[in-house]
Amino acid sequence: MLGIAASSAVHPAGHGVQALWDAVSKGRSALRANDLDWCELDCWIGAVPGVDDPALAAQLGPSDCRNHRLAWMALQDAPFRRAVSSAINRHGAHRIGLLLGTSTSGIRSTELAYAQRQATGAWPGEFSLRQTHTVDALCRFSASEMGLQGPMATVSTACSSSAKVFLMAQQWLAAGLVDAVVVGGVDSLCLSTLHGFGALQLLSPRMCRPFDAGRNGISIGEAAGFMLLDQTPAAVNFAGGGESSDAWHMSTPHPQGEGAQAATRMALAAAQLQASDIGWINAHGTATQANDRSEAAAIAAVFGGHTVPVSSTKGVTGHALAAAGIIEAIVTAQAIERASLPPSANCETPDAALEVNLVMAQQPSTLRHAMSNSFGFGGSNCALVFSAGA
Amino acid sequence: MAALSFTLHAAGVLAPGLSDLAQLRAVSRGEQTWVDAPLELPGPSQLPSNERRRASQVVRLALACIAQVVDGAPWSDMPLRSVFATDEGTGEVSQQMLQALSTTRQVSPLLFTNSVHNAPSGYFSIAWRNTQPATVVSLGLDSFACGLVCAVTQAMATAEPVLLVSYDCAMTPPMDEVLGVRQSTATAWIISTPGSGARAPALASFTLELEPAGAHQPSPQPDWLPAAWSGHSSARGLAALGLLDAALGAAQAMRYGAQMMTLTRAPEATA
Repeated sequence: MLGIAASSAVHPAGHGVQALWDAVSKGRSALRANDLDWCELDCWIGAVPGVDDPALAAQLGPSDCRNHRLAWMALQDAPFRRAVSSAINRHGAHRIGLLLGTSTSGIRSTELAYAQRQATGAWPGEFSLRQTHTVDALCRFSASEMGLQGPMATVSTACSSSAKVFLMAQQWLAAGLVDAVVVGGVDSLCLSTLHGFGALQLLSPRMCRPFDAGRNGISIGEAAGFMLLDQTPAAVNFAGGGESSDAWHMSTPHPQGEGAQAATRMALAAAQLQASDIGWINAHGTATQANDRSEAAAIAAVFGGHTVPVSSTKGVTGHALAAAGIIEAIVTAQAIERASLPPSANCETPDAALEVNLVMAQQPSTLRHAMSNSFGFGGSNCALVFSAGA
Repeated sequence: MAALSFTLHAAGVLAPGLSDLAQLRAVSRGEQTWVDAPLELPGPSQLPSNERRRASQVVRLALACIAQVVDGAPWSDMPLRSVFATDEGTGEVSQQMLQALSTTRQVSPLLFTNSVHNAPSGYFSIAWRNTQPATVVSLGLDSFACGLVCAVTQAMATAEPVLLVSYDCAMTPPMDEVLGVRQSTATAWIISTPGSGARAPALASFTLELEPAGAHQPSPQPDWLPAAWSGHSSARGLAALGLLDAALGAAQAMRYGAQMMTLTRAPEATA
């Protein structure tokens, strides 16, 4: 059981945890038709307000890239900074771990630099792959921003990345490696994922509609989220998690969600709970045909059909890929703290073939325990359980 | 922190001029000189034939190295948890993606699927029908140290052996101008920690300690490894295998972010 000492996030609905909850709890979508002047695809996106502010370039110097801009903005949150500073004072900077997920890091900068290299024969003078785009850049940049000097790792298992960090944090704390851990994840809009998901025909030409009968793909979003975890019980705690591999297909989930079922059961065992103890599932719910079908099958297999309330919040935030795990963990903790279940946004006509009890409108709930699901490419599954403090 | 103890049960080695652990040990003992030899990476025989053909170089590299330790290992009938540790992690796939995006923007579904950092771990799970958790971590040139810390703490928490795979895939022009990895190198370790009850043959036991990086200097790369590999994260794992033929108490220090990790040969731990 790890206490959540503080959280911070930037996301398409704005900056801060409050802005995230305001949008998610009302099911108010922050998605918009793609208006990026560097991507022509017919899709919807979730972009973080202010990410293109030119003043950020000077602020970030040689580390400037879209991904670090998101991280930097999220790390400006004053209460979060105070909590991290206080942990550093208490334990020492070298006793605070850092575990962050990203899939594409600052690749948008490399996309621009590569195009220039091909056009002119030379890389842009200021371009540094190490400071912007290699996967570890996110950890090094964030550690430097927070003044952390402990063990760290960037996790890159596609869309499960910033969920798996919770299990690793638990392992590091149990081994006595650290006294507190900052976990999180950052992913940012780029041609690679937009065109990649486009090639797989998984991008919806409309706003994504998880669990809707007419769902036809994802809307890609971007976000940065961080949480400070330690062994002091808090208002909401990370109770345990489970992870598994599908061993099935690189980009398609197992049809019955066998891997998701295994991760769910392991998470329940780790949290020492029964399926009936879980009051809400914050689903992965990406709005592809295959994902929602597979996840619904897994939920029905473990919890029974049409039982536990289920929502996907990706209709509000879009799919922030490797940052989805942390953003949805923050939403899940908020739901517990505020005793309220967010609706499954953008779902108008629930798919009758899916045996899930969808939350169609915000509802009060005496929520003690909730689960957050994250599943990714490569058949990488992770389920997290969060619980109200005693 | 208290030192963490672990036992190394098997190690795979795959790099130009180093085809397995026995050859690495012969080179590290000075019985053989390292000779550069092109690395031929076969399509992974464990994958279905259609998948085998499509496997990228980095997938072939990781799976061929894993095959050295998993097939016939003490736990060959037990699916292992795994930690994959890599620096850039995708090799020529990143250049192919960027090339497509800078011209036609026609990315093939296969290219995009191969571009995720967990492609090797995903194919590993499919190839060996292994449903155990697989994690992919990175910390640039310190990725081996990072992966070892994650593998050892996971073994401690789960009381199960863990497969650690550390690899770097050759970058193709012009990406090799910004990341100077021009050969592919890999090592795969099966480790366990005390209390896991593992009664498997051991190569050696070690302690692992972390200290603030200022404490002392990192060990230089041994001169039996090519100097060009000092820019490879996995070369630090290859160098550490030189400890197998060193005396008890012999140690290697390597950077791990703002920390220094020291690996020390220890008396065999009890299961």
